[in-house]
Amino acid sequence: MVSVAFINPLSDEGKMIVRELGEFDGVLSENDDLMSIVTESRSQEISDDSFIPRSYFDLALKRIEWYAKKKNDRNFDHKQYDFLFNPDINKFDVIAFFLLCQAIGVKYGPNSRESRVLVESQGKLIENRLGKLSKIERNVLVTNILNSLLSSAHIKWTFFEDLISSKKLKLHELILDSGEIILDKDDFLERFSHKIQGRKPEKMYEALIGDRIKELVMIKMVMQNTENYIRQVGERSNREIEPNPILLELADKISEVLLASVQTFGQGSGGYGGSVKASALNPKAFPPCVKKVMEGMKSGGRNDAIIMFLTPFISYARLYPAVFSENITKQISDVDPTLSIIQNEILPLIFGAAERCSPPLFEDQPQDKVNLNAKLGFGMHQNPELKNEGETTWYTPMSCEKVKIHLPSLCKPDETCKKIGNPLSYYNRKIWVVKKESKAESAVEEDIKD
Amino acid sequence: MVKIEYLTPASPEERKRYYREEWNIKQVPEYIIQSIQEREFGFDHVGRGPNDRYKVFRTPDLLKRFLKVRTPFAAYCSVAFYDKPRRRDRWTKAELVFDVDAKDIPVRTCECEGVCEICLNEAREIVLGIIDTLKGDLGLQNIHVVYSGRGYHIRVLDNDVMSVNTDVRSQIVKYLVGADVPENEYSLDFEKVSYEHFVIPFGYPNVFTKRVKYAILHLNENSELDEVNKKLLKDVLKHRQLIELDNWGMFKNKIGPQRYRKVIKGIASMNMSLVDAKVSIDLKRILRLPSSLHSMVSMKCTEVKNIETFDPFDDAVPKFVYER
Repeated sequence: MVSVAFINPLSDEGKMIVRELGEFDGVLSENDDLMSIVTESRSQEISDDSFIPRSYFDLALKRIEWYAKKKNDRNFDHKQYDFLFNPDINKFDVIAFFLLCQAIGVKYGPNSRESRVLVESQGKLIENRLGKLSKIERNVLVTNILNSLLSSAHIKWTFFEDLISSKKLKLHELILDSGEIILDKDDFLERFSHKIQGRKPEKMYEALIGDRIKELVMIKMVMQNTENYIRQVGERSNREIEPNPILLELADKISEVLLASVQTFGQGSGGYGGSVKASALNPKAFPPCVKKVMEGMKSGGRNDAIIMFLTPFISYARLYPAVFSENITKQISDVDPTLSIIQNEILPLIFGAAERCSPPLFEDQPQDKVNLNAKLGFGMHQNPELKNEGETTWYTPMSCEKVKIHLPSLCKPDETCKKIGNPLSYYNRKIWVVKKESKAESAVEEDIKD
Repeated sequence: MVKIEYLTPASPEERKRYYREEWNIKQVPEYIIQSIQEREFGFDHVGRGPNDRYKVFRTPDLLKRFLKVRTPFAAYCSVAFYDKPRRRDRWTKAELVFDVDAKDIPVRTCECEGVCEICLNEAREIVLGIIDTLKGDLGLQNIHVVYSGRGYHIRVLDNDVMSVNTDVRSQIVKYLVGADVPENEYSLDFEKVSYEHFVIPFGYPNVFTKRVKYAILHLNENSELDEVNKKLLKDVLKHRQLIELDNWGMFKNKIGPQRYRKVIKGIASMNMSLVDAKVSIDLKRILRLPSSLHSMVSMKCTEVKNIETFDPFDDAVPKFVYER
């Protein structure tokens, strides 16, 4: 039977393993036991030494590298990381997990890209590890872990507040009744079987809840607990004087692994990877919601559409389209030192859209120019001036989720919208397609000239 | 019966009469009186929006004196509770609120410009549906309804939800209004099974079914749904009596499965406008004070004791309107 800690390193079993290790001293040393487990893993590729982690420290980095490459590298070879799915590695894996949490907690905190990658990678590791188990073993393990994570059989949906807030779980994916989440089969049958007509209640339970939702809840809970643990480490480290240098070194290496993955493999699937450079705006690549605002809005949604939605979108799309992948806070002058792009390209576009509103936005609400300026980070003033920069924050573009809440009439999704969660990601994705298309068109024109 | 189009704005004299002769502090709901020291109050004195904010009243008597002396155009009170409400500082919790404004309902059977008896009644139907889900699915109990003057506010004061953040509130709104199309294919061990939302009589699929039913029964030939053309809309209207009888399978067959998918997708997207979601996710919103006068339409913002029987034209018209 696979150890609970192999799936949930934060379990009591996992904590016991960490306690047994004691000090940090040995984490950099070569460990023969670890190397022999790795090399003896069934499908492990051992043709290159670099495929084999030699210490706890190496193993921690391999965990991150596995996820980064799996996500971004089209030529990803799972055989290089087969050891991660060998249950014999459990003890080493748990230590590596804790090292990662502590390094990231100490150096970057819970809201960092590094934290997000670790939390996501833990979720993916669990999914993959469960996938290698037999149905029965998987079921028993998941039930055991869930039982230890949930204090009672009757769970109020508000118990999952953190998971719902971080969107790891969506409320509508759960079956709720009288404020409780229904996971147990007997509970389900007792509550609903008399209402179900023409279908077998047992089969409906298996389809709607069954192992699928139980696993989902368990995985998301472990992910949330991982994030919470990183937060605790971060808070604790703020109170302590000197963090362990090994953790700081590991934290730096984690960043290097992520950066290397991005630089080598580019954009990937639109996760944290990839950097899109600032360049002249191409309205053809705007998402449907932006196109709609550019045409002008009727009174009612004008203010939010121009100030809250369009201003951040246009400014970031033009000046800092990689804001979400780079995850580094910037001011406009970092990318437009003389503010000439703001003055000559960005503001005219926004003012044009405001003018096309009915009635024109700044005609009856001239004070909104101050709000617009504030969203660009130049404080509550009429015009953007370097001396005022930083008085307010340069607002990042609204997510699709927020657009649906604040401006529901704008959201008319097309095919590309299905793949993104922010209009800026739409733009970054589409701009390549548009460029490709125009290259193809000019190639055809060249042919005709010839 | 008073028709709302006759309800023109209240004059300063009428406001005075209302607050001095008709209004009573006892009409302010208990859930506000009990927490009066923790809430921010705001007032609009001239009809240009609430710009007299950050007011705090230590006792109901002080609120009473303020309203009787100042007879404001509109009075508001925060849904948020603060340790220091005068500075809106140290937020502790906020009611979970839903604003159903009759004039903004996405499908209305009336053609009125502002609000009328018909759309106010439709707003009431939507409120009933939301309360049903709040109680049945989310298990919430401490729910109050207020007639706002042009629609309804649902105010939830269960401790479990008063502390939840904007993101959770946003998901609650989406659940309640039916803004996501539920899955219709599920994987079992060796097969895939298909359950349309309307065969699942519980949980979110059931909520979604109710909201779709409401929408379809209230559509008209001028309604606009994303990616639903006039021909498809016409077919929906032609066969909608099947929905009224809950013959969903037959309705889907008549429309065609692909086109049915388009219709429910369009309705899910439209449902986001059933309530003003901005109000629900705002943790520091001020809402019209129950018992105060909505001077724009000369109606009383009234706590609703029984939503099933509430009629704004009987229960929320100030006396001065009858004497005009």
